[in-house]
Amino acid sequence: MSQVQVEIQQPAPSEPLAAPTASHHRVRLPSWLTLLLRNHKAQIGLGILFVMVLLAAIAPWIANASSATNFVDLPRQPPSWSYPFGTTDQGSSVWAGVVFGARRSLATGFFAAVIATVLATSLGITAAYAGGIVDEIISLITNVAIVIPAIPLLIDVTAYLHSRSMLTMILVVGCLLWAIEARILRGQALTLRNRDFIQAAKVSGESTRRIVFGELMPNMVSRIAAAFILVFYISILVEAGLEFIGLGNTAKASWGVSLYWATVNSSVLQGEWWSFLFPGLAIGLTVLALTLVLVGIDEVSNPRLRGLPKKRRFAFRRSAA
Amino acid sequence: MRWFLRRLAFYVFALWVAITLTFVIPQLLPGSPIGGILQRLTPQQIQNNPGIILTYEKIFGGKNQPLLKAYWTYLDHAAHLNFGISTSNYPTPVSEIIARTLPYSIALVGISFILAFALGTTIGMFAAWRRGGGFDTIFVPLFMALGAFPAYFTALLIMYVVGLRLGWFPIQHAYGTSIVPGFDWTFIRSALDHGVLPALVIVLAFAGGWVINMRTVMINTISEDYISMAQAKGLKDHRVMTRYAARNAILPPLNGFAPQFATAVGGVIFVELVFSYPGAGYTLQQAALGKDLPLTQALLLVFAICPIIAIFIIDLVNFVLDPRIRAS
Amino acid sequence: MTAASPATTPRPFGRREPLVELRGLSVEYLTRTGLPVRAVDGVDLEISPGEILGLAGESGCGKSTLANALMQILRPPAQISGGQILFNGDDVTAKSREELRKFRWRNVSMVFQSAMNALNPVTRVGDQFIDMMQAHERISKREALNQTGDLLELVGIDRRRVRAYPHELSGGMRQRVIIAMALALRPELVIMDEPTTALDVVVQREILQQVKQLQRELGFAVLFITHDLSLLVEIANRIAIMYAGEIVEEAPADEIHRAPRHPYTIGLMQSFPPLHGPIVRMTGIPGSPPDLAAPPEGCRFHPRCPHCRPEDSFLYARQTTERPRLRQVGEGHLVACHLVEREG
Repeated sequence: MSQVQVEIQQPAPSEPLAAPTASHHRVRLPSWLTLLLRNHKAQIGLGILFVMVLLAAIAPWIANASSATNFVDLPRQPPSWSYPFGTTDQGSSVWAGVVFGARRSLATGFFAAVIATVLATSLGITAAYAGGIVDEIISLITNVAIVIPAIPLLIDVTAYLHSRSMLTMILVVGCLLWAIEARILRGQALTLRNRDFIQAAKVSGESTRRIVFGELMPNMVSRIAAAFILVFYISILVEAGLEFIGLGNTAKASWGVSLYWATVNSSVLQGEWWSFLFPGLAIGLTVLALTLVLVGIDEVSNPRLRGLPKKRRFAFRRSAA
Repeated sequence: MRWFLRRLAFYVFALWVAITLTFVIPQLLPGSPIGGILQRLTPQQIQNNPGIILTYEKIFGGKNQPLLKAYWTYLDHAAHLNFGISTSNYPTPVSEIIARTLPYSIALVGISFILAFALGTTIGMFAAWRRGGGFDTIFVPLFMALGAFPAYFTALLIMYVVGLRLGWFPIQHAYGTSIVPGFDWTFIRSALDHGVLPALVIVLAFAGGWVINMRTVMINTISEDYISMAQAKGLKDHRVMTRYAARNAILPPLNGFAPQFATAVGGVIFVELVFSYPGAGYTLQQAALGKDLPLTQALLLVFAICPIIAIFIIDLVNFVLDPRIRAS
Repeated sequence: MTAASPATTPRPFGRREPLVELRGLSVEYLTRTGLPVRAVDGVDLEISPGEILGLAGESGCGKSTLANALMQILRPPAQISGGQILFNGDDVTAKSREELRKFRWRNVSMVFQSAMNALNPVTRVGDQFIDMMQAHERISKREALNQTGDLLELVGIDRRRVRAYPHELSGGMRQRVIIAMALALRPELVIMDEPTTALDVVVQREILQQVKQLQRELGFAVLFITHDLSLLVEIANRIAIMYAGEIVEEAPADEIHRAPRHPYTIGLMQSFPPLHGPIVRMTGIPGSPPDLAAPPEGCRFHPRCPHCRPEDSFLYARQTTERPRLRQVGEGHLVACHLVEREG
């Protein structure tokens, strides 16, 4: 067998080396975010969300706080100039109920989502990174938590709790919704953990803390954001749902409570559509907005999902069929 | 086989957790369970039935019973389907109430979920296959929007528009007020009639999730080589779509059925409420508001078990459909 | 940038009517920034009936895209942006949907790189043959099953394997299966896109032998796509070298082996260490393939070409501004290179 000398020639100095197509990417936060902001669906979603938050924020200036829950005028009035959304069976303003209710509903949803996301992220990453028995235990708990339906459990728990404060709601919902996302985040953390750049960091002796916070999490930001948004809209729905059943604080204004009163007072059966339509629309639009942002994130991370530029669309029909 | 046993072990474990939860919750919440129960019973009832407190104590553990023993008794009773006597429907035993109401829920949920899944995945399949086509641009956003609104809102809306204004279907209860339940055609017909609106709401509210899920998976599947090859082989378009793409793409959504089911079970409760449909969900709400402890706990157990059973069935279906699982 | 038109690309004399003719074919990918990437840029190519044409080039040079374009199975965001594809004189791009469906597999079939990915994981192997046969002719299931068994035996697989699922077969067997599938309808052209890349060398050799033998028996033409030039030297009649979406050299196989003219081809040929003979100093090809969204001006290979030097100002000017065209430099030998053009 002959020997072969291998000599690699240096690249010509004028030509810069093309960027290495490594299997890892250092995700810089702004890039996916800017892409997201350019995504049409996400734009619509964020727009609606912005309007909702704005309404909630300026509520005291566009409606009267007390007219949300107290008697202010003749009950059961359809929408009119003085009461743009009409009045409820109790004689309070539906409009005020919606904008003030926005504060409560959005806030409880938000904070519950924060709790759930923190739980999901920490458990998910721990399970993925630590592996072994820790992973098995956490996964087992997560799987069971997914299987046990949250709403009946929540109904059960809130029925027996005496306090109906916002804090209780937040805690209870937050602590029960983490499971779904925990599994997904664990999956992503696992994929990343086995990537070369993490292995390289480990081998070069970086501390676990630095690896997790400095290398792992930055690459998971979009997924964590998606998890947060998902839990956000689920908690809005769930909390409104509990309030709808009557397990919320029926004295305070929130979207779910408005729907509760609408049902209890048989507004629907009496044809008073305004008392349930507007709060319901508020919930639906907010959830829709969040769903749209989620779809946007999905499209940004998975290029195949993106729509095709419109003018070229027809050319594909034949060749792709 | 091994895989099967592992799953089975998981189910048993989940079941155990569910049962234990229903036992533990009343213990953890403020006030002793017995105290709560006593509050619900009228003095009359206690007088007429002196042994009643003892019965409850046996099931839920009283001040005199050590926790572990109470737990054991509870398990024992649960195994015999003895959950005590409902305080809000005194003196009907809980098991009887559940037996009366559960079938309606199962019928409603069973049918509408399967419909929602079938409809959703079909729309998702077409939407992905013809990107930018009719399905993709109209139905996907439509169902997405429908799914965004809480089920009870859609329920109220449907109730108002279809039930009240158009009067096409009845809007309350499971069957006509004058009809007696039985296996005769009048009853079944009435039951179906009453079930249409709740079922419609559930399908509309939940199909959306499947649409999006299936569409995404399908789009990813379409980019696989075997789809290119199938097209290259000159197969008819719809055949590639169904036998090659959808057949593979259906597997992840099928697996996602389980968590969806668990969440959706909650949504059904709301729908039953709006339509005063006397299923397990409606009963749970009444029981919870009435602080009927035995009934709520038993119902919670039922609700916890149903997803487990559903997942088990899904696992079997998965086993049949995916030869790769059979091999391992 | 003008694409080479048929008139200016000289073709050697004495050839039969070509089976496949690509005239100025261009395929573009639309990217998220809106700039199209030309994966195939003005390619002229011909395949004669019964010949094995090898197509070689680095990863990402556009060879697979070309193959997909030929079969009209390009996936969005890729689309044909110019040129013609003629098969037996018919323009493939002008076919209707139904005509295209019938055309596929019967006239041209394809062997994919990864058989594991090319087979439907949840259906049995036999069923995948049957649905293809039934899509093209009226044939009973039993008869189709029978023929499938014959095909499997043709490639050296036990006919009982029709009932197997893809994951139950070994890598080599799977590759044979899709070769058998590609031959099922006796097509005139079989495109093989890196058919042996995913296999180990021993199996690779067996598959190649199999392909050569089948080609001799059945007489179909082959477009053999690979990055491994040494394979082509063994199996192909003619070889075309592709770089950055263009054909840069085309010649009979032994001519390429013996006397490559284009600097890129020379670089490729010199990348294979010979097992015998004196010690040879190996040179790789410095640099990396260009970004097709913004390819270099003029000759696309010039940044990496050892013969592109600013000192040689006149040639350098041409190399950096003008795209070289394929010109005949010998019997059946075409090269697109300013240097070769100058040398005559």
